[in-house]
Amino acid sequence: MSLEAKNVEIEPAVRDLRNRTLSRLPGDFSRLVYLASSRDLNTGRYSHDGLAFHFSENVASKAMAACHREIFDRLVYASLEELIEELCNYMSSTDERPEEFLKSWKHLGSYRVTIPSECDELEAEVFLSNVKMALAILQTGQKPASQYEQSA
Amino acid sequence: MSQLLPYLGVALLLLVVSALWARQIFLTRKSRIEVVVPRKHQAAGRSSASRQALGERIFGLHDWDFVSRNMPSEIQKMFLRERTVLAISWLRRTRTRISLVMRAHVASVGQIADLHLATELKLALSYLVFLILCDLLIAWIWLRGPIRTRRTVGQTLRTVTWLRGAFEQLMARVDSANCIALKTNFDHRGVGS
Repeated sequence: MSLEAKNVEIEPAVRDLRNRTLSRLPGDFSRLVYLASSRDLNTGRYSHDGLAFHFSENVASKAMAACHREIFDRLVYASLEELIEELCNYMSSTDERPEEFLKSWKHLGSYRVTIPSECDELEAEVFLSNVKMALAILQTGQKPASQYEQSA
Repeated sequence: MSQLLPYLGVALLLLVVSALWARQIFLTRKSRIEVVVPRKHQAAGRSSASRQALGERIFGLHDWDFVSRNMPSEIQKMFLRERTVLAISWLRRTRTRISLVMRAHVASVGQIADLHLATELKLALSYLVFLILCDLLIAWIWLRGPIRTRRTVGQTLRTVTWLRGAFEQLMARVDSANCIALKTNFDHRGVGS
């Protein structure tokens, strides 16, 4: 079932968020990090001034939670190869040196906070395990074939 | 033939003890590497399809093909370790779901007016076989990993699915409320050969 069918109340806010904000970010991993960082870790509520201005704080928060959940689902079911590509895209968008980025992400486990509040425990485990694998693969300097084609 | 019976009994006992031992070791190891889990669990309604897809995701060969073709051996070993943990976690959750339904049934059994002893015994037996199969699968995956045991796991899960069908039929007869809970929370058809 699509997000729209699930909740008519937040449908316009979800569409607005997708079109104006999320579509400008390079890939699902960037979107996931963006949405997770818009969440207050103490309350679990999301904040987005523009969206709250057009709709309401409550609707904005619900719309962001729904998008967070949707993007997380896509990444959980993405293949390891696709996840590595997503991570590479995100890494390139941060302007940090890849070695430092990978070291920091591996050491701090920053990706753990990107998990949505309402998600299956096992899905979270699958996601964390796959990101851990992707980071280890990128640290060895191995990239999926498509990444080599892009850099060439 | 009768001379072999004590040996077969001992072998079966050893098998069960090894399975329990392996499970215990895994549980200890798992508790050490437990991740920070989300506050809430899944929303109702997505469970069955999601479980099935997650099973396919964990036991699928796509990622292994990618890793085994392109990655060094330490990455391959790491991948197998990670997937073993996930596969066992998936099985443990499935086992827990059925156990919860069975416990709910046992708790409500006193309120059932026309209780059939034979049906209850069949139910208990199916449940016991299901638990043993789950534990054996966990031990097998722990020992050999989810990739090498994939075919055996697929066959055993088909048996488990058949058992589930029998279990559901019996539950529907004696306790329809708990049977609905079972149907929405358990589906293994996706993890096949």
